[in-house]
This record gives sequence, C-alpha cells and structure tokens, in this order.
Amino acid sequence: MIYDIAGLRILIQNRCKYTEMFCKAYLSDDQTSPYDISATVTNEEFYEEKKASSQFSDGYIENICLYRAICRQMPVLNRMLLHAAVLEYEGNGYAFLGRSGTGKSTHTGLWLKHLEGSKIVNGDKPILQSTEQGFIAYGTPWMGKEGLGCNSSAPLKGLCFLEQAKENSITRLTPAEAASRIFVQILFPEDEKNAARTLELTDKLVTETPAYLLKCNISKEAVKTSFEAMTGKPYSPKN
Amino acid sequence: MKIKNGFVLRKVGGESVVVPVGAMSKEFHGMINLNETGALLWNFYTEDHTVEDGVAALLAEYDVEEEIARRDVENFCKVITENGFAE
Repeated sequence: MIYDIAGLRILIQNRCKYTEMFCKAYLSDDQTSPYDISATVTNEEFYEEKKASSQFSDGYIENICLYRAICRQMPVLNRMLLHAAVLEYEGNGYAFLGRSGTGKSTHTGLWLKHLEGSKIVNGDKPILQSTEQGFIAYGTPWMGKEGLGCNSSAPLKGLCFLEQAKENSITRLTPAEAASRIFVQILFPEDEKNAARTLELTDKLVTETPAYLLKCNISKEAVKTSFEAMTGKPYSPKN
Repeated sequence: MKIKNGFVLRKVGGESVVVPVGAMSKEFHGMINLNETGALLWNFYTEDHTVEDGVAALLAEYDVEEEIARRDVENFCKVITENGFAE
C-alpha cells in the first residue's frame, strides 16, 4: 500500500499485517500515482533484527526494519530521521534530544502540562525535511515505545539537548557543539550518496537551527527555562 | 600510502568528519573527526602518495616549518595505518 509520510509517497511492501494497522492514519487516498520510495525487508535483514529483538513479534520486527528501509532512502530526497521528541507550540516545532534515559519524555511531558496548546508531533523518531525556509519536522507512524505523536508537521525552530541537573540553566551551542552531540541521534545510511547527503543535511540543520544545551530538573521552572530561550517569549502560564 | 575507498568526508558545523560507507560501514562503526590539516591530508591521501608528497602538500598550503609538516604527515599516516584505513 502507498502511504503519505513526511510529504512523500511511500510504497510499503509488508508481509505481516502489523504494519497496515500501524500505518493506517497515513494511508494515501491515491493508490495509483507514482511513489517516491519503495520499502521492503529482505530475509537477511529480518533475521538479523530478530536475533537482536527476539522478544518481539515478527510483525513488530518487520515494522522496525521497514522504517529503517524507508529512512535510509530519504537523505537524497532532502529528509532525514532524527532521534528526538518534537513538540509543537503555536505553530512552531521544537526538538528535544538526549541519550535514552536523560528525560526527553519527562521534559516534553512538562511542556504538555504547563503550556496549554502544546502537542507532540513525534515523541521519538520524527523525520526532518530541509527546505529553503529551514527544516520541517514531521510526525510519522513510528514514534517510539510510548506511541506519542500525530500525523502533522511544524517548522523546526530549535534543537534542545537535555542533561539532568539540580538547577535549571540553558546555554546556546555553536554549530560545531551541536554537531558533536547530534551525530549519535542520526541514522547513517550505508550507501555513499545517502550517507554523504546525511552529513550535508546535518550541517544545514546545525547551521540553520538554533541549538541549546538545557540542564534541567523536573519542574515548571525547567519548562520556563527551555521555553523562554527557544521561543524568545516570556513564559506566562495560565493556571 | 593510500586511504581505502569507502569513506565520505564532509564539513558539519564547520568541523570535518568522515563516515564509512558501503562495505566499509560493516567493518568500521563510527565516525572520524579531523582538524583542518587532517582534512587536507585525508583528501590528499585518497590517492596514493608518499610521505614526502604529503609534506610538500602541507607546505604548499600552510606557512609552517618543514620539520613540523613532516611530523604531522608521519603522525597522520601512522594513525591511518594503525586503524586499518590504509590500503
């Protein structure tokens, strides 16, 4: 079936039913026009993933492999997968990044709680598209264990790297500092064209998008700290 | 020395990085960070050249003493060879 994901028409050739249910909200109304990407999973890839994730069902394993197969074809189409949680607030997107366990979902949960109207575009694996006006973050069916996100998109206005701390503080990162932190959150395709393009897109991303290091605890003040730095607006919560 | 095929070098955020591609990405997992001289030498040694050639290439680009340029090139070639990136 063909799905509309991140502004592309994607033909997904799955064997297990799981993926059809999983991607239902993204099913294209037009199943006949040409597609941009076709994704399928080879036996070799499937069994390699099954070794690594033996506790999961075949449908789930095929599903993980399919997203990888899609994402590694995207860079030449000006898109890339980023491991991050992207929130939307007043029409703009903000990405929160950190190694597993640093509190991405905790901090984004605090935004949802303390900033009325904020919503999660994708809680774990958004796709970013490079455009002449900067990057756009897209929701996709793949959004991490918690399954938080929706079929929407927002222009990306900030990258926020998280670290746990007792006191809240935020500093602006240089493009080089942002690059050194972002590499571990990116999928590198194996083929040369897409790998090179991934580096070029990453360069654009850290050059065009303001990046910050947020040291934070779990509090409303942590939201104030990241919100004010990234939006440039005063934080005035409605209680 | 010649650096094996299967790497791409790009500037990201102003810093030069190299990633493995194709078959090389199965052999080597990771990323190489290069300073300015390192990036120049990496590009230079994607074709087969001697240490002397490398020294000449550095001297042509930078205003440094030959002794320092030679030390840099020897270090670079040593690191490349030790990591298995040389043919």
